[in-house]
Amino acid sequence: MLPRLRRFAVGLCGNPTDGDDLCQMSIERALANRDKWQDGTRLDSWMYRIMRNLWIDEGRATTRRRETFVAEEAGLSVGSEGAQESAVELSMVDRAMQELPPDQREAVLLVMVEGYAYKEAAEIVGCPVGTLNSRLVRGRDALLELLGEKA
Amino acid sequence: MTISQEDIAAYVDGELSSEREAKVAAAVAADPELQRQVDAHRALKARLSGHFAPIAEEPVPEALAALLTPKPAEVVDFTAAREKRQARHTLPRWSWIAGPAIAATLALALFLPRGGAPEGYADPQLAGVLDSQLVAEQQPGADTRILLSFRDGDGDFCRAFSGSEGSGIACRDATGWKLEALGEGSDGAATDYRMAGASEGDILERAQQMADGPALDATAEEEARASGWR
Repeated sequence: MLPRLRRFAVGLCGNPTDGDDLCQMSIERALANRDKWQDGTRLDSWMYRIMRNLWIDEGRATTRRRETFVAEEAGLSVGSEGAQESAVELSMVDRAMQELPPDQREAVLLVMVEGYAYKEAAEIVGCPVGTLNSRLVRGRDALLELLGEKA
Repeated sequence: MTISQEDIAAYVDGELSSEREAKVAAAVAADPELQRQVDAHRALKARLSGHFAPIAEEPVPEALAALLTPKPAEVVDFTAAREKRQARHTLPRWSWIAGPAIAATLALALFLPRGGAPEGYADPQLAGVLDSQLVAEQQPGADTRILLSFRDGDGDFCRAFSGSEGSGIACRDATGWKLEALGEGSDGAATDYRMAGASEGDILERAQQMADGPALDATAEEEARASGWR
């Protein structure tokens, strides 16, 4: 389960460093709350839910931090375009995923990468199945567009 | 009937009712444009899973795995402290086989053992556990926990298990689950975070000697269960 959780974390965060941090926080929270895990429910779904909740909470804080940070970095790297480019070298898929709004990104990851059924994914996210379905459709369309799979 | 974007996506994900699925399949077969959309969705899905698959194959970074290893306990008893130290020293002897089964360690670290096991071949109760219980899906109240699964030199599936009254390794042959090794039961965990005690360490070390390769990961375990461990 841990490798899969880590994959989900890296997918959400868009890079292994942040993904591993998220993974670590999730495990710590799970250990601290393990008495809240209910018998008869799936351990993996519970872990995924902990992780995505943490990610949503963190996201609000990180977005603010990153906005300041990026502005600063852009200022420092004026006149050294080459270096800047290599620093942000990401694969097409990574970049396309980062373009997606968080709710679409997690829906796409849960269903298309982790292989959860719509109902299970909706339970992890904590939204109705219909909502998950439409996020998924929008996310998928955006990816098809970004990755040029759409003729 | 009209086929929506949702239908196409749900069709590709296998989420439609069989009745609806048949209708969409017929519509897709009759319409090259719909077929093209289905192909695009399939290609996208394959690209995404292909892109993210290697991450799950990578070894889990030590910092993460370390969260699930035993923490030095606050001890009052020097004998217990020494035993704990020794227990920890046994970890590296079997750690390589447990690596791919790191999925197991999360479940192990979260929950505590209970239960029992017999001799010769596994009794129906234990056999039931060995047949059905996957490391990744173990319940906290399970009498017997599966530590990991592997194939031995003969290619038979073997599973190391642990309970409060007994632990051991059983391999599936034509007759049933043959008990290849038996150890003492775990005496209850000294710390909630403990991954494996000394007796489990012995069992895991024995598993490592018997194994013909690393332990099965969650997917391989599921497949082995589906084929009846044969």
